[in-house]
Amino acid sequence: MTATAVDSDARTVGAERGRPAHLPGELSMWVFVLGDLAIFGIYFIIFMFSRLQQHDVFLASQRHLSQGLGALNTLLLLTSSRLVARAALAARGGEHERAARLTLGGGACGVVFIAVKALEWSAKIRQGYTLPVNDFFAYYYVLTGVHVLHVVLGLIILGIVVRELRTPSLRRLSIVESGAIFWHLVDLLWIVIFVLLYVMR
Amino acid sequence: MTLDVSPAAAAVAVDHEPLPRSTKDQWICWWSIPVFYVLFGLIFVPLTRVMPPPRPDKSPEQVVAFFHSHALTIKIGFGLLMVVIGWASWANGLVAVQMKRMSVGPVWAYSYVAALAVGAIPGCLFAAFAFLAAVLRPDRSPDLTMLLYDMGLMMFVGSLGCFTTQYLILALAILLDRNEIFPKWFAYVTIWQIVTEFLAAPIFLVKDGPFAWDGSISFYQGTAIFAVYLTCLIALLRRAIEQQSVAPS
Repeated sequence: MTATAVDSDARTVGAERGRPAHLPGELSMWVFVLGDLAIFGIYFIIFMFSRLQQHDVFLASQRHLSQGLGALNTLLLLTSSRLVARAALAARGGEHERAARLTLGGGACGVVFIAVKALEWSAKIRQGYTLPVNDFFAYYYVLTGVHVLHVVLGLIILGIVVRELRTPSLRRLSIVESGAIFWHLVDLLWIVIFVLLYVMR
Repeated sequence: MTLDVSPAAAAVAVDHEPLPRSTKDQWICWWSIPVFYVLFGLIFVPLTRVMPPPRPDKSPEQVVAFFHSHALTIKIGFGLLMVVIGWASWANGLVAVQMKRMSVGPVWAYSYVAALAVGAIPGCLFAAFAFLAAVLRPDRSPDLTMLLYDMGLMMFVGSLGCFTTQYLILALAILLDRNEIFPKWFAYVTIWQIVTEFLAAPIFLVKDGPFAWDGSISFYQGTAIFAVYLTCLIALLRRAIEQQSVAPS
């Protein structure tokens, strides 16, 4: 907490005196999110490196992906992120039941995202585009697979958030905010994966 | 410890400050961890050449040549491993002791130790015996030598998934614990391990590229993140033992 104390001393402009600057969520969640971004950053760099080496293969393989389903999933996650962000605002305002409902709405979008992903994967596998076909499809399954793992983890975290919001003795704003931070990470990672795999020419 | 104390024992406790619990036993275990991993590195990197892994797309003749040129160091290294592998139990026991100090039930500590036992056999010993068998009879047909090469390296890198349960147990125990034995962020570092170890699965499907058993993602990145995890674990175990020797038990 020394960091926030120093922070409020240094920047009293814009903040009331004595009121410490607020870091949303828990510090441990920020360690997780920033570390995760670094790990995915390395995946993305290795992906770009392979893509440079086999540009034609990657472009030809990309045409077999369903841009429509990818865009649908992007919309789903953007919507869910907005719902979860509004849930955090509602929780700050003390509207716990509304916050719980918004979080459930965000989670429902996540469940639909996984269903769309499963549909997309099964279609690709039926068409014969499996992981060993070439490096592009290896990246496709691994990157989207690790991302889906994050969606599942995010759904568990959102479940914990809803449980805390509905149990007055457990309610902690920092948990609600941490859940929202993680869910935004899930959304952000998907947007980068969508651009790299589906869109980039 | 909230044991029922008899009046006499209570009087003694009032007269004398309770002695801080000796942690000498735990320090012996703690020092075994860096020694174990130095030996582990020595065995797997320069001696047996399992790390970094040789290429999966070698021809049978190249594999025979690989075993021929490293036969002696493979015998020395994996011979040594037979003696050293059990040392891992000191590290696991120490983590289990600290997990039993958490507010969660002891079942987490027991399942942690049990889950690690699942991984150690395919993760170390199968690879060792496959390589030792390969160098025992250098005149074996190249195709059979190739089989032992594949088995050894696939088990070594591909068995990483066997450790995911152990990481899941540790991460959940840290998140549920209210005694702050380990900081919460370490639970998340442990979750990264689960994610990276999943990425060892594609080695069963491809022989080249970033997802092969010598790949940048399947092997190198996973190993780098494991090194971060291990460094944190050793430092945090040290901190946990220090706090235990200060806090009255």
